[in-house]
Amino acid sequence: MVRAADAPQHLAIRAGRIWTVTDGVIKDGVIIIKNGKIQAVRKKPDVPEGMKLLDFSDRDVMPGLIDAHCHIGLSLDIYSEIDETVLAVTPDMQIIDAFNPLADDVKKALSSGVTTVLLAPGNKNPVAGQTAVVKLYGKTTKDRVLKRSGGVKFSLRDDALMSDRRPTSRAGLLALIREELNNAKTHKDDKPDLRIEVLKSVVDANFPAYISAYTVDEIASALTVIDEYGLNAVLIGAEEGDEIAQLIAKQNIPVIYSPVLLFSRDKDLKRVVKMADSGIKIAFSSKSPRTPLSSLRTSAITAVKYGLDKEVALKGLTINAAQILGVAKRVGSIQRGKDADLVIISGDPLQPTSTVEMVIINGNIVYQRQKI
Amino acid sequence: MGFYLFMENPVVIGHKNIILISILILLFTFTISFASQDIAIKAGSIITISDNPIENGIILIKNGKIEAVGENVVLPADVRLIDANDKFVMPGLIDAQSRLFVMDRELNEGRTIEPELNIVDAIDPFIKEYREVLAQGVTAVCVAPGSRGLIGGRSAVLKLNGSKNVNKMVLKADATVKAAVGVSTGNTSSSLARLEHYSSIREALIAAKLYMQRKEKADREMAEYNRKKAEYEKKESGKETEKKEKPKRPAKFRTNPGSDVLVRILRKEIPLQVEAHRVTDIINVLRLADEFGFTLILDKCTEGYLIADEIARRKVPVIVGPVSTSFVDIPRLEYRNHNMSNAAILSKKGVKTALGVSGRDGASSKFITLAAAMAAANGLDKDAALRAITLTPAEILGVADRIGSLQVGKDADLVILNGPPLDIRSRVEMVMIEGKVVFDRKSQR
Repeated sequence: MVRAADAPQHLAIRAGRIWTVTDGVIKDGVIIIKNGKIQAVRKKPDVPEGMKLLDFSDRDVMPGLIDAHCHIGLSLDIYSEIDETVLAVTPDMQIIDAFNPLADDVKKALSSGVTTVLLAPGNKNPVAGQTAVVKLYGKTTKDRVLKRSGGVKFSLRDDALMSDRRPTSRAGLLALIREELNNAKTHKDDKPDLRIEVLKSVVDANFPAYISAYTVDEIASALTVIDEYGLNAVLIGAEEGDEIAQLIAKQNIPVIYSPVLLFSRDKDLKRVVKMADSGIKIAFSSKSPRTPLSSLRTSAITAVKYGLDKEVALKGLTINAAQILGVAKRVGSIQRGKDADLVIISGDPLQPTSTVEMVIINGNIVYQRQKI
Repeated sequence: MGFYLFMENPVVIGHKNIILISILILLFTFTISFASQDIAIKAGSIITISDNPIENGIILIKNGKIEAVGENVVLPADVRLIDANDKFVMPGLIDAQSRLFVMDRELNEGRTIEPELNIVDAIDPFIKEYREVLAQGVTAVCVAPGSRGLIGGRSAVLKLNGSKNVNKMVLKADATVKAAVGVSTGNTSSSLARLEHYSSIREALIAAKLYMQRKEKADREMAEYNRKKAEYEKKESGKETEKKEKPKRPAKFRTNPGSDVLVRILRKEIPLQVEAHRVTDIINVLRLADEFGFTLILDKCTEGYLIADEIARRKVPVIVGPVSTSFVDIPRLEYRNHNMSNAAILSKKGVKTALGVSGRDGASSKFITLAAAMAAANGLDKDAALRAITLTPAEILGVADRIGSLQVGKDADLVILNGPPLDIRSRVEMVMIEGKVVFDRKSQR
């Protein structure tokens, strides 16, 4: 195995199939990597002389997967707290400050083929804090962190209601969010206040709002607030989004969909299909540690089983997620100039029988499957 | 009266009803002969599981049983032909770790020793999810009570034949007695609690052993008494003058339903299926089996891959599940060292390995093929993966004489797919149980 530390400057990967995502599938092609970036994607299997070659002529290569919503590397288990629940409004909280890139779950996650994730606070605060977009490997912070702060997460979930602090009711939750956004809108710059400044960039639509809403009523509330303030918004969860898919599509709001749970009824399994069919841009998520990161690909596979178009499913794991998270210039497809974040897989990425065999981040081999 | 007829064994039948019964029997016979037209399935590919696959073969079904399988099968006249020339036929799938037909709260998930409980008594045949499970080719499930600790009760293998009469769903009652050791609650896992599970089950088995010995002694005494009594009565009637003392009846042995079930375990009449996740717990369970010599089935066996040799050496079969923690809602502490190659490693070491979904609720059972595909992705041979959701669970649960493979004499429980079973694009076209079409995709639209 090539150790990450001695990754060559130049590397060629020959593949039976290259799933570029943005430019179709190339049969028997070669990807040339230079200094961690994709320098060329060639439609012929020839490799320039003297270049180190990884020969995967009988394997498939796809872009590194993107988990568009999870809580990995926060040294958490399912039962611990990630939210700052004493206050209900904490837009100044940055989740990156809790991220440990060397945590066990980060190392373990590489085997699932995920290379980039959106880290987010939980659902217990109406205004929960700032998200981050990070890679699961990087020698330096610069290599690893794509966005230190990628937006503000809001929660319209019932989880945000508490008996000992505002809000205690659904209506109160919306009132509180409006109050905070109005405050930010009318704020004069005489006294600097970090929390208000963050929310001001949200109401100015410079900074995306990631709004967690699962049920129809939560999603409807989210759409109302987005419309009222003209927010640059993304929906997180949106499990019942198919019920008002037309409205979501009309407002052009992308959705980071909940993990497709493997105990759902057929009706629920078809929801994401209906949403995609309505023209909503979908990205998948694992919500790890609630489900393992490997369930990201399983979600897409299950959605395909229940009718989702294969191309849409693949995009939901890669380029659509990259676009929704605002990192598509760096990751999400196999294109010249992008980061060399690649997954070598034993077959069609959307078949459950296919296994991730190698993961490459910034040109470094960071995971290689051991023979059993 | 009708009710008694509906049951398998009429208990009380008055002679006044004989005419009524005769009529019903006649009707019944008529229905049988009407429904029992022979069926032949012409299949592009027959995955028999027990033998090599057959290309362009025929399966002949008579009275709900497989009459013949092969390339050259002579078809009787008046046979109903099902054309599946471009399709795949395989045996009905089995989820050996299902929660179908049972409400969560009725799974007896306390920490008690209640081997007398029978899951059949909690079965609700009206649960609708079974249709979704059936539509994915699952024709039988094993449902077991108790997964939180100690001995939960007796499991049963059920067919998804759509019957609303529980007794007609049951393929095998008392398939196993289900126990669990070392399962955490919430986010805590205490070593003392683990030991307590182990020692409580052990104490119950020791008590059962003593009970068995006392009962055997009482049975012997009773037999002796009956013999002497018969001898005494014979002499009395013979009016022999020789006076003999009247034999004294021994005290009646008080039976206990729970102990009776445990005795059946000790006598290897019913296997003990023990859910154990961590290595220490698995070792404890193996030790219990060594001590008492019962037939053991290891269930879940999350860290089994770490001590596969130990398990293989004792020839203990394993039902692995879940293959991925994606199947459970919130993974408990026991899954910390979960490895998706568990089934592959156990199987390679020679352990008889079945796969179960072990999902959060009954609807999860529809993902049994996905579980097998994931196991295949993680090193389990594809044929072994299919066997692990058909014949192997049937063997482990003691129903392989009826289901699990496409062999002559077995029930005609089968699935017709439009592609290879582990391919995500393949759709189940038709499902048959005992020769009856119980699902047909065409009629779904």
